[in-house]
Amino acid sequence: MQQLTTSMHRALLLILLNVLLIPICTQKMRAGNNLEPPQFTVTGTVTDGTGEPLAGVNIVVESKNIGTISEFDGTFSIQAGPTDVLVFSMVGLKTLSVPIGGREEIQVSMEEDVTQLGEVVLNAGYYSVSGKERTGNIATIKADVIEQQPVGNPLAAMQGHLSGVNIVQNTGVPGGGFSIEVRGRNFLSGVTDPLFIVDGVPFGAQSLGSYDVSRDIVGGNISPLNAIDPNDIESIEVLKDADATAIYGSRGANGVVLITTKKGKAGKTRFDARLSTTLGKVSRFLDLMDTQQYLEVRREGIINDGYGSFLENPDFDFVWPDIKSWDNDRYTDWQRELIGGTAYRNNVQLSVSGGSDRTQFLVSGAYLKETTVFPGDNDYKRANIHGSLSHRSDNGRFKMDLTLGYAHEDHKLPGTDFTVMAYTLEPNAPRVYDDEGNINWENNTWDNPLAALDEQFVSGSSTLVSNATVSYHIMPDMEFRTSLGYTDYRLDSYRTMPSSARNPGLGLTPQSYSNLTTNASQRESWIVEPQLNWKKDWGWFSMDVLMGTTFQQETTQQLVLRGTGFPNDGLIGNMAAASGVEAVSDSDGEYRYNALFGRVNLKFSGRYILNLTGRRDGSSRFGPGKQFGNFGALGLAWLFSEEPIFGEGSWLSFGKLRASYGTTGSDNIGDYRFWDTYTVTGSDYDGVTAVQPTGVFNPQFGWEENQKLEAGLELGLFQDRLMVNTVWYRNRSSNQLVGIPLAATTGFSELTGNFDALVENSGWEVDIQTLNIRSRAFRWSSTFNLTVPKNSLVEFDGLETSTFANRYIIGEPLTIVRLYHALGVDPETGSYQFEDYNGDGAITSTEDRQWVEDLAPQYYGGLGNSLSLGNVTLDFFFQFKKQKAYNTLRYQSTPGFRGNVPVELYDRWQGPGDVKDIQRAYSGLAPTGGLGEFQQESNAAVSDASFVRLRNISLNYRLPGLGNGLDANVYLQGQNLWTLTDYKGPDPEQPSNTRLPPLRQITLGLQLSF
Amino acid sequence: MNILNKTISTNLGNGPRCIRLFRQRCSLLFKLMALSLIGCTDFVEVEPPKNTLVSETVFEDPATVESALAQLYHAMRDEQGMVSGFYGLTTAMGIYADELDYYGFNSDYAQLYNHNVLAGNGLIRAWWGQAYELIYGANDILQGVESSQGLTGEEKRGYRGQALFIRAYIHSLLVSLYGDVPYITTTDYMVNNRVSRMAAAEVYDRVIADLEEALALFGDGGPISSERIYVDAFTTKALLARTYLYAGQWEKAALLATDLMDAFPLEPDLDKVFLKGSPETIWQLKADADNIRNTQEAIQLIIQSVPGQTYALTEGLLGAFESGDLRFDRWVSSVSDADNTVTLHYAHKYKADINETRSLEYSIRFRVAEQYLIRAEARLQLGDKNGALEDINALRNRAGLPDSGADTPESIMDAILQERRVELFTEGGHRWFDLKRSGRADQVLGPIKPNWRPTDVLLPIPEAELETNPNLLPQNTGY
Repeated sequence: MQQLTTSMHRALLLILLNVLLIPICTQKMRAGNNLEPPQFTVTGTVTDGTGEPLAGVNIVVESKNIGTISEFDGTFSIQAGPTDVLVFSMVGLKTLSVPIGGREEIQVSMEEDVTQLGEVVLNAGYYSVSGKERTGNIATIKADVIEQQPVGNPLAAMQGHLSGVNIVQNTGVPGGGFSIEVRGRNFLSGVTDPLFIVDGVPFGAQSLGSYDVSRDIVGGNISPLNAIDPNDIESIEVLKDADATAIYGSRGANGVVLITTKKGKAGKTRFDARLSTTLGKVSRFLDLMDTQQYLEVRREGIINDGYGSFLENPDFDFVWPDIKSWDNDRYTDWQRELIGGTAYRNNVQLSVSGGSDRTQFLVSGAYLKETTVFPGDNDYKRANIHGSLSHRSDNGRFKMDLTLGYAHEDHKLPGTDFTVMAYTLEPNAPRVYDDEGNINWENNTWDNPLAALDEQFVSGSSTLVSNATVSYHIMPDMEFRTSLGYTDYRLDSYRTMPSSARNPGLGLTPQSYSNLTTNASQRESWIVEPQLNWKKDWGWFSMDVLMGTTFQQETTQQLVLRGTGFPNDGLIGNMAAASGVEAVSDSDGEYRYNALFGRVNLKFSGRYILNLTGRRDGSSRFGPGKQFGNFGALGLAWLFSEEPIFGEGSWLSFGKLRASYGTTGSDNIGDYRFWDTYTVTGSDYDGVTAVQPTGVFNPQFGWEENQKLEAGLELGLFQDRLMVNTVWYRNRSSNQLVGIPLAATTGFSELTGNFDALVENSGWEVDIQTLNIRSRAFRWSSTFNLTVPKNSLVEFDGLETSTFANRYIIGEPLTIVRLYHALGVDPETGSYQFEDYNGDGAITSTEDRQWVEDLAPQYYGGLGNSLSLGNVTLDFFFQFKKQKAYNTLRYQSTPGFRGNVPVELYDRWQGPGDVKDIQRAYSGLAPTGGLGEFQQESNAAVSDASFVRLRNISLNYRLPGLGNGLDANVYLQGQNLWTLTDYKGPDPEQPSNTRLPPLRQITLGLQLSF
Repeated sequence: MNILNKTISTNLGNGPRCIRLFRQRCSLLFKLMALSLIGCTDFVEVEPPKNTLVSETVFEDPATVESALAQLYHAMRDEQGMVSGFYGLTTAMGIYADELDYYGFNSDYAQLYNHNVLAGNGLIRAWWGQAYELIYGANDILQGVESSQGLTGEEKRGYRGQALFIRAYIHSLLVSLYGDVPYITTTDYMVNNRVSRMAAAEVYDRVIADLEEALALFGDGGPISSERIYVDAFTTKALLARTYLYAGQWEKAALLATDLMDAFPLEPDLDKVFLKGSPETIWQLKADADNIRNTQEAIQLIIQSVPGQTYALTEGLLGAFESGDLRFDRWVSSVSDADNTVTLHYAHKYKADINETRSLEYSIRFRVAEQYLIRAEARLQLGDKNGALEDINALRNRAGLPDSGADTPESIMDAILQERRVELFTEGGHRWFDLKRSGRADQVLGPIKPNWRPTDVLLPIPEAELETNPNLLPQNTGY
């Protein structure tokens, strides 16, 4: 059956291919015989509504591939025939078609386009489409919004701005990662990474960081996307529905993020300079106990445990140095000491751009340096070079685009994120330095946090993304195009762990302990995509056909070495000085990918649009016979506002209904998983290298499937001053590729295979744009987006007997957690109580973990306002999210252990009759103490983490009257300035007690151009 | 790829040749696309990466089979399993029984020390998981070697013997900790994923059967290898003797112990018993040459300073040494805090601590002293009181003690257990197993462990495993 459908698909595609190519070939024969009318030169000037000349307006002769661009003074000159039509276009202005009618000189005045909807050209990857005529769902964010945000990573600039896209910053440490989800979690495997494409080249966004090197500082994850300077980005598009993503086939299931960098524009050579300084601080601290509260609770815990008498016996002082040996009046706010610093970021960018109507260029260079909020001398540095060159031949038939981006990044960070220490160090812990300025170990009674500064994490990475696109118009309607791309990402990092960073009481020496771990990784990929594009417009009917193929290869390599035993700690940076060197891992991977893709777009009467896309994909990640899969989608749009009943002057200026349905897939499971192999573990016994069975062999796994259905209504009211875009979607993912948990008795923890489970993501997305006030002096516009997602496990045959039985529930989201049901503190015993679901008199895991909480957002979105008055522009953007998250009780629910805790734990049960939320103090000495470990796993540890955040505010002042084409702007920008939340924890955006929360940042900048 | 390059390069030219070019291109493109259409299968097939070996090839070459075995030895030594000196029985069952006090802050260990072990305990789960990982590795070797064409018969016998031993050894530890456990003899995950528990007695029968088969494969004895770091006939006999003893097969236990006592002399100098060249060692795990160079036992047990201790010997164990016992002098040391108010004792059998950069000691898993104690107990059970006394006196005399004064079977049994306690302390949980199998755990641990319950003689089956495979239900009583 499977065989049959595959061959049917093949046959159908072949037929389609033939049908498509026949008209192309016959068309060509006719075109060659056409006689061209005589050409002459048309000149003129383009101005805006107020009579100011417009530079950089795109002027093309309709239906020919001849074009030019207006000069700085608005003048232009172009070769055309007397009956030709000139089309004037520019972003932000209404496109104008002017018939030449035999004139030799033409004056054109262009109007501002209110919503720009018609002119917004959206990058859909292999093709572009106007906002008005799109059949699919493409969310976009443009340079003007990106530039307002003082951020270092493109994903940070997108946060909150795009409906259906949920982005969370993982750490406030510079150069750390982000997680992104487009329309929820589709797969049980938990992989949500979309496909990233930078200037047409797939960009591997997975970190090559080694856990052994960077686990304690950036969670093992250094995001390669940091290499892309947000200031170099022209636009980011996120493809969401089937119509937009099916052309990416097997890689489109989790959405596609297209990043397009800036290109040069024709006209006067333009110099741009941007200088900015940013100050960043942790935006939220925890309220922790002070010394008095802490010691009181500690003592009480020890007394409760029955060891009170020992407290007064000096023989036992060593058991509780915080109470007996350390100064009981000392207080240090460790959050202020360890994560309370100011991170400075200095950023400078210079660019030159310009060109003629045939050749344009842009070269920019940027340098960024950012320090951390941690003590010590740490920083992150980045240097970028970005270049673009476009050229077309005289007759416009040949075009070439080159883009090149190179970034070098350097991290110098402490080996460990200080955040955990800042939250948990005893408030009366000793001073960090003694009188001589040496690290104070206080008679070896504590682990001095600043000793960790001796442990360094250093990383250098370089990223190259290059793309060349060459195209040639074989005939006026047909273009042959090839896109070539190459990326290279190299990461060299190391972590040092000298013995000097450890408590001397452990008796460690450089010879016995000091170690150095290095990670040298590389990812290299190339892609070649020849394509053929044919367009024809018959007035009442137009057709756009695209066919192409993809060949892609990606190789990764990683070598992690560990050297131990150094003559002294000063030599720890040198692997050659280590007395023993061990290869922790030496791995390589190869991924090959081959595809055929196509698109047919049909437009009838300018208002009925049909868009068909398809792809046949082959991936090396699957075993023989399972490598190929077919994907496709159908999109429909009806521009009902073009129907005759809506005449000129109707209150409805734009109306479109659209729908799409199709399938995409995912092969995001890692390389070589279908092979039955033994892996070199990097260990040895008696000098014999050890090899280990890699996993349970299952050659039978194939693509995950994702079916996407969407319907949307787009309305423009009052001459498009109010645009409302409403979307309903439903994505269903089946054939789930998961590591099916195995019983340990199999020798493995999981097996990779396709699971017959169905996960549904559905929801509503609303995007509103309004132009509230528009006058010569004052302009106020707003944007709003809202996403209401719903995730549900729809089907799962045999869930009850499967190994997922205790994790998922049919009908509930994948993001649920199952918890004990907390019933508060027993007023008699001071112990936490829980609901005994199965009534067996004991609280036991599984049976009594029946309380369900969902940790996915219920809704999220953003509200932005842009106001401009004269030379001043003010933009502010609020992000909001309704969600629940683990609070601080998740990490500690018991007062009395050594180590500081949130002050909420101070208000505890102290004697029979007390009605409190927190159990009695317990120091861990008695065998049991109040079931705090169950409380951490209960619903009490989950609470509301909804927030409204002023994510971004930007105030720009354009200095007036400088003349000579000099344009200067001074700007003040803020990020995460203010947050409204009831969350009991560090930061509602990223509820973790172990990582540095995102910072609050203020930027002052200057932009000059001439 | 040639087609592709040609297409691109022809595209770069422009001019009047376009019709001809187009025809050419049309057909090239057509070919290219047709190629993609039927699936460029060759393009999407890749070679295995350099850090893996395709399984079939592993068992065709002795070097790679030895690599597969090396993984098992390495895993026993370094990974979070029962055999490891770091995570294993030595420390964990030392605190669970009455050998060691625990001063650390790890809640998994604290649960063991305090006898409030939860079924979700991470250490208990790690032991279980690593045990079956080792067993899978052993089974895969047994299976792969069986069908190999590239190995000689002798090679096959040696590899199979080692794999059988490891399978039996790990199962024998599992059954003594968890009670009824599955005995896994296949690599088929479909079977193993739904496997049920087997009665403990039957597990011991399987252990014995595997060991007897291994012994047959190894042949009888042969010369003792120089470093004793691989499993051989002697190792197999040592475990078999212990298993016979635990199973009450006294004659067989005594017979094998005798064999070993003939082959391995006792080291007269107590300071040299735990050196890597000790003549009484039957099997030891060679230390990691790059990192530790010596034993994890030394790193775990030796107290460098007070405070800073994780484990210290209990008062009970210190009191168990008779005065004049040289083992107390040579194998126990102490350290005090700065103002001499606290003194703690630690096991100092292994002396090469973390700062020793030469390789002096390996982790000993079987040594002949245990065989003296096995034979003593077996002889006593067979009614040979004098023989039993003769064996324990050999150990006592080495430790500078006079012959035992015990004379009744009961008192001799007590003497044997006492001798086991002071001879084998902090060596792989002997004390715990002795308390458990002699039925004395209640009486000994009840008074000193406030949370002691008689059901503590078995550890819980890891909770996550019961969830994953409900056929393992019911949980051991008390959890």
